[in-house]
Amino acid sequence: MKEEHKHEHKAKKYGMVIDLDQCTGCGACMVACMAENNVPFRKDETDKFLSITWMRVYQLTNGKSFPNTEICYLPRPCMHCEGEHGHSPCVSVCPATATDYSHETGIVSQIYTRCFGCRYCMAACPYHARYFNWWDPVWPEGMEAYLSPNVSPRMRGVVEKCSFCFHRYQIAMEKAHYEERHELKEDEYQTACTQACPAGAITFGDLNNPDHAVCQMKKSKTAFRLLERLGTHPKVYYLSSREWVRRAGDNYLRDEDGKVMDKRKLRN
Amino acid sequence: MDAALIQKGVRRCSFGQFILFLAVVGAVLLWGVFAMLLCWIKGLNQTNMNDYYGFALWIWADLAVIAIGGGAFFTGFLRYIIGKDELKNIINYAVLIGFICYSSALLILAIDIGQPLRGWFIFWHANVHSMLTEVAFCLTCYFGVLTIEYIPLILGNRQLDRVPFFHNLSHNMHEIMAVFAATGAFLSFFHQGSLGGVAGVLFGRPFAFREGVFIWPWTFFLFTWSAAACGPCFTIMITKITEKVTRKRLVKDNVIELLAKISGWMLITYFAAKTIDTWYWAAVTAPSKGFWMMDFYSGNSLYGLWILFAEIILCAFIPGLILINKEGRKNKTALMIAVILAVIGVSLNRWVMVLQVMAAPVMSFDTWAMYFPSWQEIATTILPVAYGIILIAISHRYLPIFPQEKELNPIE
Amino acid sequence: MRIDRRSFLSFVIGGAAGTALTPLPWKITDDLAIWTQNWPWTPEPPDGEAAYVNAACTLCPGGCGITVRKIDERAVKIEGMKGHPVNDGGLCILGLSGLQLLYGPTRVRTPLKKVEGKWKKVSWDDAIAEVAAKLSELRGKGPQSLACISGSDQGTVPQLLKRLLTAYGSPNFMDMPSFQDAYAITLKLTQGVDASAAFDIENSDFVLSLGSGIIEGWGSPVRMFRANSSCGEKKGALVQVEPRLSNTAAKADQWVPVTPGTEADLVLGLAHVIIKLDLYNKDFVGNHTFGFDDWTDGEEKPCKGFKQFVLENYSPDKVAKTTGVDEKTLTTLAKKFADASSPLAVCGRGEGKTPGSLHEFIAVHALNALKGSINKKGGVWAVPESDYISLPDLKTDDVAKKGLETERIDGAGSEAYPYSKSLLNRFAEVVGTGEQSPVHTLFVSGANPCYTLADTQAVKKAFKKIPFVVSFSAYMDETAQAADLILPNHVYLERLEDVPPPAGLSQCVIGLSKPVVAPQFDTRHTGDVVIQLAKKLAGSVADAFPWENYEACLQEALGDKWDALNESGFVATEVTPAGWEKAFAGTPSKKFEFFAAGYQPVTIEGEEKTFPLILVPYDSMRLSGGFIGNPPFMTKTVSDTMLKGNDIMVEINPKTAKSRFLFLNDGDYAILSTPKGRVNVRVHLFEGIMPGIVAMPKGLGHTAYDDYLAGKGVNVNELIGPVEDPGSGLDAAWGIRAKLTNVPI
Ligand SMILES: Nc1nc2c(c(=O)[nH]1)N[C@H]1C(S)=C(S)[C@@H](COP(=O)(O)OP(=O)(O)OC[C@H]3O[C@@H](n4cnc5c(=O)[nH]c(N)nc54)[C@H](O)[C@@H]3O)O[C@H]1N2
Ligand SMILES: Nc1nc2c(c(=O)[nH]1)N[C@H]1C(S)=C(S)[C@@H](COP(=O)(O)OP(=O)(O)OC[C@H]3O[C@@H](n4cnc5c(=O)[nH]c(N)nc54)[C@H](O)[C@@H]3O)O[C@H]1N2
Ligand code: SF4
Ligand code: SF4
Ligand code: SF4
Ligand code: SF4
Ligand code: SF4
Ligand SMILES: [Mo]
Repeated sequence: MKEEHKHEHKAKKYGMVIDLDQCTGCGACMVACMAENNVPFRKDETDKFLSITWMRVYQLTNGKSFPNTEICYLPRPCMHCEGEHGHSPCVSVCPATATDYSHETGIVSQIYTRCFGCRYCMAACPYHARYFNWWDPVWPEGMEAYLSPNVSPRMRGVVEKCSFCFHRYQIAMEKAHYEERHELKEDEYQTACTQACPAGAITFGDLNNPDHAVCQMKKSKTAFRLLERLGTHPKVYYLSSREWVRRAGDNYLRDEDGKVMDKRKLRN
Repeated sequence: MDAALIQKGVRRCSFGQFILFLAVVGAVLLWGVFAMLLCWIKGLNQTNMNDYYGFALWIWADLAVIAIGGGAFFTGFLRYIIGKDELKNIINYAVLIGFICYSSALLILAIDIGQPLRGWFIFWHANVHSMLTEVAFCLTCYFGVLTIEYIPLILGNRQLDRVPFFHNLSHNMHEIMAVFAATGAFLSFFHQGSLGGVAGVLFGRPFAFREGVFIWPWTFFLFTWSAAACGPCFTIMITKITEKVTRKRLVKDNVIELLAKISGWMLITYFAAKTIDTWYWAAVTAPSKGFWMMDFYSGNSLYGLWILFAEIILCAFIPGLILINKEGRKNKTALMIAVILAVIGVSLNRWVMVLQVMAAPVMSFDTWAMYFPSWQEIATTILPVAYGIILIAISHRYLPIFPQEKELNPIE
Repeated sequence: MRIDRRSFLSFVIGGAAGTALTPLPWKITDDLAIWTQNWPWTPEPPDGEAAYVNAACTLCPGGCGITVRKIDERAVKIEGMKGHPVNDGGLCILGLSGLQLLYGPTRVRTPLKKVEGKWKKVSWDDAIAEVAAKLSELRGKGPQSLACISGSDQGTVPQLLKRLLTAYGSPNFMDMPSFQDAYAITLKLTQGVDASAAFDIENSDFVLSLGSGIIEGWGSPVRMFRANSSCGEKKGALVQVEPRLSNTAAKADQWVPVTPGTEADLVLGLAHVIIKLDLYNKDFVGNHTFGFDDWTDGEEKPCKGFKQFVLENYSPDKVAKTTGVDEKTLTTLAKKFADASSPLAVCGRGEGKTPGSLHEFIAVHALNALKGSINKKGGVWAVPESDYISLPDLKTDDVAKKGLETERIDGAGSEAYPYSKSLLNRFAEVVGTGEQSPVHTLFVSGANPCYTLADTQAVKKAFKKIPFVVSFSAYMDETAQAADLILPNHVYLERLEDVPPPAGLSQCVIGLSKPVVAPQFDTRHTGDVVIQLAKKLAGSVADAFPWENYEACLQEALGDKWDALNESGFVATEVTPAGWEKAFAGTPSKKFEFFAAGYQPVTIEGEEKTFPLILVPYDSMRLSGGFIGNPPFMTKTVSDTMLKGNDIMVEINPKTAKSRFLFLNDGDYAILSTPKGRVNVRVHLFEGIMPGIVAMPKGLGHTAYDDYLAGKGVNVNELIGPVEDPGSGLDAAWGIRAKLTNVPI
C-alpha cells in the first residue's frame, strides 16, 4: 500500500520524442496545434517573426551543393525546459510569475491573464518558442464558432506558447479523479500534434515512467536535444539517423572532434 | 512677464524667446505623445518589434537613459556618503537629470509593455527570481527618492518659497536629504546592477550570459560600474551644453574637474574589468556553450569586432585616459570629447547587451535577425529627450539649480 | 504654521496611508486590469456539452476517417479517426483545417443569380425552376448542349449528375483528370482490363518513384505518409526521381535528380541494364508476356520486341546524356531495383493531377513487368473499379437516345482518342475556338476548372462563351464567380454522402460521411437538387429519379452496405488482384503486352532559344493545389521561401541565378515569362534543385475566395498550357519552357 502510494505521487515529467527520420515536414502538427489551441491568424502570415506558431517546423539543410543537398524537417514545440530545478530560461526571468514550471508534470505553463507583455521571457528563450500577440486576435465573421472553450483566446499584448496541450491533461485528470484513479494511462493524455501527425513521428508521454514509450526512446543512440549545452534541459528529444542532423541540434567549435561545419549554411 | 517667478540676481532670456523655444521643443514632444497614444490604443503592432526582437529600441533607451542618469546616484553617493562637499554645486543638476532620466525610463516601460494597465502585476505577483522584478522595485523606489530630492528644488522657487509651509517643508527635506541620498545610492547600485543582470542571466543566450557570484552575473557589477563612470560624464556633458546654450558659466571648473577625475578613474577601472570580462566570456563561457567568439561578430551586416574596439578602447580607455590627466580635464575640448565618448560608450554597451543579444542566432539553423525601428518607436524614444529639454529649460529658468550661477555671472 | 520634522513625517506618511486606505484607486486599478482580460472584442468561446461525432473527410480523394469534437451544436475540432483503415488517427493539414471551410467567409450562403454582373439572392424554388425551364427549352434543340464538369466520376453525387445528363440525352459528362486516367489506359493496353491502378507500397521493399509526390498528396495522402513511415521501419527503400528536392525526395533513401521530361528514358535505361545483366524475372517474362522478344505479326512482318528496342536505344551512356543521371548511378539503381524481392516503380508527377505521358507510364509499367511486379504482393495491381453503387437501370427516350449518339465535345472515346473517357484538357479549345459554344448549359460540381485547369485564361474565356453556367460550389471559388447561377451545396460536414474508395489503395475502403452539424446556411445537398431538377423536367428524365430525396437514393444505391456504413462509417474489403494466369485474358495475346515503341515522348511548349529554362510546378502539402483553396491555417504554415507578402517565390539553383546575363540574389525580384504569360516573381536560391529549372508552387494566385487567400502569388496554371499526349489525348504537360530576367531598374 505504501509502495503504491509512493508510486502514485511520483512526479511526472512529460516530454516528447520526435523522430526526424519519420517527419515529412507536412505541417499537420502545426495546424493541429492551431486548431486545438485557438491560435489566431492574420491575412498576411509570411513574416515568420510575427506569425504565431506554437509548433513550428523548421527546414534544415546540410549546406551541401546540388546534387548532394539534403533536407531535414524539424518540428519545434516549446521544449518545456527544466533548467536547473525548474528554473527554465523563461520561467526564471518572468517578473510577474506569469509563466511557471510545474514540478508535478514538468510542464511550463503560461498564464495569459497575468502576463503583462514585457517579453523578457521571449528574450530568454533560445528556441523562439514564445510568441507575442502584437495584434488583437480577430476571426472572420462566423468563424468564432469553432473556438474551443477549453483554451481561452489570448488578448492583445500577451505572450503565448505551446502548453503541451495542458487542458487535455486537466480533462484527463478530471476523468481519472472521477473514476478514483490518480494515474493516467499513456494514451489518456496525448497532445493534439502527436495525435494528428500522419507519419507517426511524434511520441508523447511521461519521461519518468518506464512504461511510457518516450522513456525508452529517449535513450536511443540517435537521440539528441536542441542546445543541450546551454543547460536548458529540454524535454523534447529528437531522433535522427543522420549525423549532420544530430550535430545541427547544438553548437560546436570548429576544432572540436576535428569536424568543421559552417553552421551559417544550415538553413536554406 | 514672468519676472516675479525668476530668482533675483540671475539673467534669463525674454519670455517670448522662452516660449518660442518651448513651442519648438513642444512640437517634438507632441509628435512623441501622438506616437505613444498610437502604441497604447492600437497596440505594439505599431512598432517594428517582432518575436525575435521582443526587446528592442525602447529597452535599449531604458537601459541607456538609466545608465547616463546614473550621475544622480553616483554624485549623491560621492557627496553625501564619501563627503565630497564641492559636489553640492552640481548635485541639483545631477538630481534633475536623474529625475528626467528615470521618469523617462518609467514612461518608456509603460509604453513598451503589452498590457500597461496590468503593469503593476510586476509588484503584485512578483517573482523574486527575476532580475526585472528587482529592476522594477528598485527603479520605482529610486524614482520616488529622486522625486523627493527634486521637490525641495521646486520649492526653492522664489514665489513658492514665500509660502511658509513650503519654505519649512523644503527646509526639513533638505535636512534629511542625506538619508534619502544614501537610500537612493543603495537602490541605484542595485538596480543598475539588476539591469545588467537582465541580460547576464539569460543562460539561453550565450552572447549575453555571464557567470558571476551568487545570483548576480558579472554584468550586474559591470553595469553598476559603467553607470557610475559614465553617469557623471553625462551630467558634465549636459552641464556644458546648458552653459553653451545659456551662454553662461554655471558650475565652477574645480567642481567639474573633480567629477571628471573620479569618472576617469572609474572608466579606467571599468575598462580593465570589461576587458577581463570579455576575455573570460570569449575564452571560457561562450566556448563551453559551443560558440566561438567570432560567431557573434560575423555573418551579418552590422555587428562586427568594431563594436568591441569602440566599446572598450575608444569609449572607455581613451576617455578614461583623458580624464585622469590634469591636462585632459583642463582642456575644454578634450574634456568634452572624453565625456561624449564615455556617454557613447555606455550607450553602445547597452545597445549591444539588448539588441545584439536578440540579433545573434542561437540554434545552429537559425539566422541573424536584423531590425530597424518604426517611426513610432523613434518618436516615442525622442519624446523623453524633448520632455527632458523642456523640464531643464523650465527648471533652469525658475528654480535655483546652480548655486554658483550668481557668483559666476554677476549682474553689474 | 510651523512644520517640524515630526509633523512633516506624519504628513507624508499619513497622506500616503490615507490615500492607500481609500478603496478607490485600488478598485479602479484592479477593474482596469480585469477589463484588459475581458476586452469585449476578445472572444470567449461558450462552454457546453462535449461530444465526438465520426464522419469522413472528403476534401480530397484520400478518404480519411475523422472524429469531430463538438461543444453543443458547434464543431470545434477535427481529429483523425482512430482505427480507420486509411488514416488510423492521422490527418493531413487540409483535413485538420476543415472547420475553417465550414465556418469560413467564402461560403456561398444562398442560391445566387448573376444579374448584370452582380450577385442577387434567389430562392431555391426559383433557382431550380429557372434551370428546369432552361433545360426544357433546350432539350428539343439538342440535349447534348448540356455538359457537366465534375470533380470526379466516383460516388453517388457524380453518378446522379451523370445519370441526369444521360436521361436528358447528353454524353458530355467530364471529370477532372488525374494520373489514374493514364494508368487506366496503360492497364487497358498492356493487360486488357478496365481497371484502376493500385499500389501495394506497404509490401514493397523497393519503391522507385518517378516524380510521384508520395508525401505531397499523391493518391491518398495520409495513407501514403503512413506507407512511407512503415517503409522506413521495415527497411524498404524509396528512391525519388525528380529534378527538385521535394519533401518526398528529402524523405527518400536516395534522390536522383533528372532532367524533367526524360523519366521514360531513365526507366528504359534501367530496363536496358536489367535485361543486359539478365536480372529480369524469367518466369513472368517467359510465360506471361508478349512482345519481349522480336515477333512477326499477322502479315509476317518482323516486329522488334521490347528487349531489342531497349538494348539498341537505351544504353547507359546515351541515357546518361539525355537524363543527366550518370552511368554509375543508373547501373547501381538498376541493380538495386532488380535485386529487390518486390520492387515497385510508380509514376504520376507530384499530386498526380496532370495525367502525364502514356510513353512514360507504359515504360514504368514495363519496368515493373520485367520484375514480375504486376498483380503481385508489393507490386502494382489492376483493380476493377469498385461498383458499390447500384442504381436501377434507366430508360431513355428518343430525344435522349439521339443526343447520346452524338460525339462527345471533348472527343473522348472518338476515333482519335479511343481509350479516353474524359478529356477536360480539350474543353477550353473546343468551346473557345468555334463561332458558337457547343455547350449551352454547363454544370460544374465539386470542381474549380477556372483555377485548376492548365491555361486558366483560355478556360475562363471558354466559360464566358457558354450562355448558362450553373455552379454547385459551396464556396465562392473562381468557377463559381464565372457562373451565372450558383446552387450551393452543403459542405462536407453538413451532408450525408458516400465516400468512394480512394484510388491507389490495395484495399477497398468505402466510407459514409454523415453530417456533423446542421447546415449553417440556406444551402442544399447537390444530390437533392439534382433529383428535384429531374422531377421538374418530367417524362423519362423524372422517371429516372424515382427517389423522394437523396437519402432514399443513397440508401438504395448502397444496398446491403447501408447498415454497416451507418454503423461504423466505413466498410473495408481486402482486394486480391487476379493471378498471372487469369490477369491478362483481355489482351489479344492473352498475356501481358510490352508496348515498346508505340508511344511517343511528349515535348513541352516553348523554344529553347527564347526560353532557356524550364518551369515546373511543384506541390507542397502546405498548399492545396487544386482541391479547395487553402484555408487560413494552411496558408499560415506556408514557408517564406514560397510566399513573401503577396509575392510568389520561385526556386532556382544558385547557378541558374548567376547565369545567362542573370544576376539574382536570394529574395530578388525577377520577371518570369513562358509562352503563356509573364509574371513578377521573387527568387529563392536553393541548392536542392537542378540548374536550369524554375520551380513554382501550385495552389497560389487565387483571385476568388477570401482576403486570406485571394491575391497571394501567382497561379502557375496561367503560365502553363496543356500539351496533348499523342497516344491518349490526355494532358501530358509537366512544365513549360521559361525565361527569367532581372527586373529593369
Ligand atoms: N494538401 C493537399 N493534398 C491533396 C490535394 C490537394 O490539393 N492538397 N489534392 C488531392 C488530389 S485531388 C490528388 S489527385 C492527390 C494527388 O497528388 P500528387 O500525385 O502527389 O501531385 P503533384 O504534386 O501535382 O506533382 C508535382 C511533383 O512532380 C514533380 N515534377 C514536376 N515536374 C516534373 C517532371 O518533369 N519530372 C518529374 N519526375 N517530376 C516532376 C514536382 O517536383 C512535384 O514533386 O493529392 C490529393 N491530396
Ligand atoms: N493544371 C492542373 N490541373 C489540374 C490538376 C493539376 O495538378 N494541375 N490536378 C487535377 C486533379 S488530380 C484534380 S482532382 C482536379 C481538382 O480540380 P477541381 O476538382 O477543380 O478541384 P478544386 O479546385 O478543389 O475544386 C473543387 C471545388 O469544389 C468546391 N467544393 C468544395 N466542397 C464542395 C461541396 O461540398 N459541394 C460542391 N458543390 N462544391 C464543393 C470548391 O469550391 C472547390 O473549389 O484538378 C485537376 N486539374
Ligand atoms: S505532422 Fe508529423 S510529419 Fe508532419 S511535420 Fe509534423 S511531425 Fe512532421
Ligand atoms: S523552450 Fe523556451 S519557452 Fe519553452 S520552456 Fe524552454 S525557454 Fe521556455
Ligand atoms: S511577457 Fe508575460 S510571461 Fe513573459 S516575462 Fe513578461 S510577464 Fe512574464
Ligand atoms: S503539444 Fe499541444 S500545444 Fe504543444 S505544439 Fe503540440 S499541439 Fe501545440
Ligand atoms: S488526406 Fe484528403 S481525405 Fe485525408 S484528411 Fe487530408 S484532405 Fe482529408
Ligand atoms: Mo485528383
